[in-house]
Amino acid sequence: MSHPWSILFVDDDRDFLDAQVAYFGSRGHTVHTTESTQETLDFLEAQVPDIIFLDLMMERYDSGFRLAYQIRKQERLDKTPIVMLSGVARETGERFDQEGQGLLTWSRLDRFVDKPVTGRQLLAVAEELLAHGDAEPNPSTDDPSS
Amino acid sequence: MTPARILVVDDEYGVRSGIRQILEIEGYEVDEAATGEEALALLDKAEYDVAFLDYRLPDIDGLTILQNIKDGGLQLMTCMITAYANIDTAIAATRQGVDFFLPKPFLPDDLLGVAETLVRHKQARTEAERLRREHEASLLELAEEKTQTHSLISSLRDAVLVINRDGEVVLANRAMTVLLGMEESETLRHPAAELLGEGPLAPLVEQLAAPQKDRTIGQLTLGERTYMTSIVTFRADDGAALGRILTLSDISQIRRVAMEKERFIRTMVHELKSPLGAVRSLIEVVTDKSLGDDIESYLPMLSRAENRIDNLVQLIGDLLSLSRSEQARGQTEPELLEVEPVVSAALDAQSERLAARHLTAQMEVEPDLPPVLMPAGDLDLILSNLVGNAVKYNRDGGSVTVQAVHDGEWVRIDVKDTGIGIAEENLFLVLTEFFREKRPETRDLEGSGLGLAIVKSLAERAGGRLEIKSELGQGSTFSVLLPA
Repeated sequence: MSHPWSILFVDDDRDFLDAQVAYFGSRGHTVHTTESTQETLDFLEAQVPDIIFLDLMMERYDSGFRLAYQIRKQERLDKTPIVMLSGVARETGERFDQEGQGLLTWSRLDRFVDKPVTGRQLLAVAEELLAHGDAEPNPSTDDPSS
Repeated sequence: MTPARILVVDDEYGVRSGIRQILEIEGYEVDEAATGEEALALLDKAEYDVAFLDYRLPDIDGLTILQNIKDGGLQLMTCMITAYANIDTAIAATRQGVDFFLPKPFLPDDLLGVAETLVRHKQARTEAERLRREHEASLLELAEEKTQTHSLISSLRDAVLVINRDGEVVLANRAMTVLLGMEESETLRHPAAELLGEGPLAPLVEQLAAPQKDRTIGQLTLGERTYMTSIVTFRADDGAALGRILTLSDISQIRRVAMEKERFIRTMVHELKSPLGAVRSLIEVVTDKSLGDDIESYLPMLSRAENRIDNLVQLIGDLLSLSRSEQARGQTEPELLEVEPVVSAALDAQSERLAARHLTAQMEVEPDLPPVLMPAGDLDLILSNLVGNAVKYNRDGGSVTVQAVHDGEWVRIDVKDTGIGIAEENLFLVLTEFFREKRPETRDLEGSGLGLAIVKSLAERAGGRLEIKSELGQGSTFSVLLPA
């Protein structure tokens, strides 16, 4: 690991969030957490993380997709990897997967990960997605407000 | 076979008895009449297969007897015997329906030949009559069956339209004419394509016109209702298409239930996976030693994991209660229950939490309140859920009031709190399984989101209902109305 990341976790489960803060924090990364769509948008106004882990189901069953779409609309967040976490994809079967495939493209997500998920799995995803970005860290992480 | 019966009518004794003897030798049963009156009396009493009639009789002539036979609807065969046979007599007798002429004098063989022929004719006629009656009876049955089938089809909830091979409507039942917005008389013998083409069933016209398929199943949405459509070709024994039957079955309810179930399961999966995911992540922090080697650092996280597991167990219990309340109808016997002890027990069960939050509890049960009829466990669950909510969503130092009154045909139990209230737009949603208001005030409150769904389902099962009044920030009143 060449340099610590700034990670944003968006989820409405505080236990899950705190566990990730401990897990990624112990590896030297900075972990930010938000618990709603609005809180997330407010946070992203102020700073741009290196990667976003986004829970699909919050206020609504598809809040994550809407939020991802809103994030991608902003040019300065255009390149930030977004990983969608969802606990419903597999169980609801084919139909959701088909819809999900369309939504993946539509909201330009980088990964789709099934919940429950371990920190170890998420770490692997982050390492893969950020492997190329290591050379040029996102300038916005130097924002004094972070 | 019984011997044929023959009546001989002649005023000449010699002729009469001669004929009789010849016929009896051949095995016929014979009666004699000397006059017209005698003949009519005998015809009235007994059934004959054949009658030999003399044209000239002292009182009534043969033609009059023939007339009587015809008018009485008697089925016997007749033969006119006369010595004066001429063309006029023949014409007159034929008009009266005579079957044969035997001119006097005649030989015994002539007589026997005529008798044999007439008896055979009579038997053939009887058999034909029997067949005709049978046929008539079966036609009658058929007509009755047709009427029954028609009323059966008319009263079907499914809409039925039958068209013949020319595409004309031959039957449209009531449900169908209602859908089409027409009277049955307006549909009969009209081309189906024309009738459907103008109405809400227009999408079916093409399918109806495609006779290559024996069965076409589809779905059609009309307004808020969804129908399963089926078009079946019916065929003659040789396989030739005779027409087609279109049926529309309303499957809105089935579809709604299926969709609700799908949503329920999707949500349930999420509700079960979330705590599991959280517990897994919390444990991972320990196994990863993210917080160092001091075990004390992990205790808060482990305690949270324990908490999530407790809630998961509670959720599974609630799921079972809900499934029981929806499915196990009739498995537990309803009994007459006094409300007061159940309210009292529900409040007692919360006494520790009431004290911890400095809440005051009040119980006001009307004296002489009639008992309610439901399984004891159901009323316990209703009150423990509602009182539990009233405590959970209250503000510290507030109050919980349970009032039970006799209100017309209902026993009305109000559980009132002074808590956070429910946003107006969520008043209906709180009854939905797993729905929980997401507000800062509810952030740290645990719950399965099933409690009110359980209460509603149990109240409805007892023939009652659940009503909610609430003001945001002021408190809520949940009223269970049960038949008194």
